Parts: sequence; structure tokens; C-alpha cells
Amino acid sequence: MNVQEYISSGIVESYVLGLASPEEQLEFENMCRQYPEVLQARTNFEIAMEQQAMQHAIAPPPSLKEEIRKAVMEAAPTAKVVTMHTEPVVHKINWLKYAVAASVVLLAGSLFWNVSLYKDNKKLQSNYDNTVASLTDTKAKLNDIEKEIGLIQQNPNVKMAALKGMPDVSPTSFATVYWDTTTKDVYLMVNNLPKPASDKQYQLWALLDGKPIDLGLIENDFFTSQKRLLIKGKNLRNAQAFAITLETKGGNPTPQGTMYTLGNL
Amino acid sequence: MQQRNDLSFSYLYDNYSGALLGVIGGVVPDQEIARDVLQEVFVNIWRKIESYDPTKGRLFTWMMNVARNAAIDKVRSRGYQDSMKNNAMPENGDGDLAGVSVGPKIDDVGLKKVLTTLKDEHRVLIDMSYYQGYTHEEISKALNIPLGTVKTRIRSALTHLRTMIRQ
Repeated sequence: MNVQEYISSGIVESYVLGLASPEEQLEFENMCRQYPEVLQARTNFEIAMEQQAMQHAIAPPPSLKEEIRKAVMEAAPTAKVVTMHTEPVVHKINWLKYAVAASVVLLAGSLFWNVSLYKDNKKLQSNYDNTVASLTDTKAKLNDIEKEIGLIQQNPNVKMAALKGMPDVSPTSFATVYWDTTTKDVYLMVNNLPKPASDKQYQLWALLDGKPIDLGLIENDFFTSQKRLLIKGKNLRNAQAFAITLETKGGNPTPQGTMYTLGNL
Repeated sequence: MQQRNDLSFSYLYDNYSGALLGVIGGVVPDQEIARDVLQEVFVNIWRKIESYDPTKGRLFTWMMNVARNAAIDKVRSRGYQDSMKNNAMPENGDGDLAGVSVGPKIDDVGLKKVLTTLKDEHRVLIDMSYYQGYTHEEISKALNIPLGTVKTRIRSALTHLRTMIRQ
């Protein structure tokens, strides 16, 4: 079977668009397992379709979100959702334990990343795709944030801070912090951050009266597993702003490293 | 537990509702009905999330097809059919195909705009299979084209689409 011919036959697009017959689907899935280039072609087309759809998105009226949220929560019991093993996986971490435990290996900024891409193409191909995808997500998210900034969050007790990338350091970085003022829990959504160097790690801070409060380290596995939403679970009584800095592995009690993102409540 | 679900929902909705509504809108022209479908889609996604297999494709691909199928089901539903006054297609003796327009739809957004670059005979096939959900057999019958031709044309149209989309 000529793999290139197979890839150019239209089967990739059929499969992704849901137009392939059950037999064609099985065959395609086998081909994806056997040939990385078929899998790559599939991923590339999927990303192209996703970008297309994002570009031609139609914003629903703001009131629709709550309506749909109610319908969704009524229809499905909560237990099932927690097992979502896709991008927005939420897992609780004991940040204290994590700050003390040995850090894991992380990569450097995007410049280093581009160089490595040429050196080790196969391994980083999927990392590259994740970047494209997360950039797409970030663009969409940025659009939404710009439109919806000022709107009240679903839970009126949850305050949100949009952490934008520092222009000289990393303009495309973006993260969001949700702070529940009743439970004092802090949630961090990493929309886009460059993968850090092996001896460095990101650290989240709350800022109060100009003083930084340590909210813990961001573990490396969010870069590989497409997880984007983390619970930082710190008992945060008060804050005015949030920031993410790039520290040495293991973090620091006070911020020493470069600030990557900053946002006010 | 409930908070986590609300945040997961928020994340999905904030990132993808616009894109999904766009996909639905390609099939269902009426915005109000499209929003109803969007609600059904999120409920479906929530219910069926465990059936999503990441090895088979990206999350968005899966959601996009859930959305497209829900939109097609809506358009084919009795209630919708009854409410549509201008049916372009005459009765064929086959109840399923009656009342659905075969000609290309007027809408030049996104994928649809790319579709206008296809030859007529290809565009009609993509329109019928992708946007209206007809099987190759049904298309072959409706247009009186051999089944093999339907398949070949659709495939060739899709490869053309791929190069057009990559911009």
C-alpha cells in the first residue's frame, strides 16, 4: 500500500469530517496506528478545520451561556464529568507537597524550541502541533475575553483575573485566574505559556499591597498532557492581582525570576 | 465537585461555543433554531464525553461532528420540515429526500466560501453529504449518478478542500 497515495486520496478529510464508512474508518484507524505520517496528516487537517471553525465562529448572545449551563447540569449527573480526560482536566494538587518535592524536567522558551525542532523533528512534531492548537485556543480565548470582560462570571462570588504576557518577555503568553471569594480557592487556567527550560519552573503569585504571596508551582505535565485548568487550592484571603514568574527549579519564596504574565482582579 | 464541573463547562463553552455555533449555522440558517441546537449539542457532549476517544482525533473534531449531526437531525426533523415553506425539491417517491434543497445554499462564510471554488458537480455532492447528511447511496439515487462516481467526486472534492483550507 502506497502510503502517500493513501494520504492523498481524500480519506483523511472524509474521516475527520465524519463522512467515511465504518469499513473506511476501521482501515483508517489501523493506518494511523501503523504509519505516523497518516496520523500526522490527520492531525494537520484537524487543526486546519479547527482554525477554520474558530475564524468563522458566531458569538452566541451572552445570556445563552447560563441557559445552556443549566440544561447541561440538569441533564447529566456531576460524577461523570470529573472523569473528562481531555484538555480541561481538573485535578487537585497539594501545592505544599509539590513545592517541596523535586521538580521535573522542563524546556526553555520558544527560541530553544525552534532549534530543537530541527534537531529532533519527529519527537517535537506533536509538541509543535500542540503549540499551534494552543495558539488557536489562545486567539479564540483572547477574542472571547475581550468581548466578555466586564461581564459577571456565572458564580458571582468568583473573581477573575486575566493574566496577559509581558510584552518584552512573552507577548503571546496568557493565563486566567479564577478566585472564589467564598471558598478562598484559586484556580489557574494556563491558556498559553512557553515550555520552560529544564532548570526552571513557573510559579504563581498573588499580589497584595505590592507584596507577593506564593501560590505554588506549575507542574510540567500540563505541557505534555494538554491539561489546561489547575486548582491551586490555596487559602487566599485577599489579593489585588496575580502574576506568573519563571523561577529556578523548585521555585523561590519570593519572586526572583522574570515575570511572564500579570493581571489585576 | 460542582465547581469543577462549572469550570469545565465554562472552559468548553468559552472556547468552543462560537466555533460550534458557526458549524451549526452552516446547516441551520435560522439563528434561533441554531441556538436551540447548540444547547442540545452541549448536553450531548456532556452526556457522551466518555465515549470520546482521544486516539481517534482531537476533542474539537469530535465536538464538531456532534454539532453537525445534531444540526442535520434538526433539519430533517418533522417539526422543522413542516415549518419550512420553500422546498426546492419535488417529491421523488422517496419521503426522506422530499423537501430538501439540492442546490448549493446561499452562504459564503468559512468552509462554504471555500466550497464556491469547487466545480458545481463537486460542490453539490459535498453540500448533500456534509451539510445535509445524505449517504452516498441516497445521493446516487437522487441525482441519478453511479455510486462509484459519487464516491470518486467526493474524495476529489475533499482533497481540493484540504489545499484550500490550509491558509
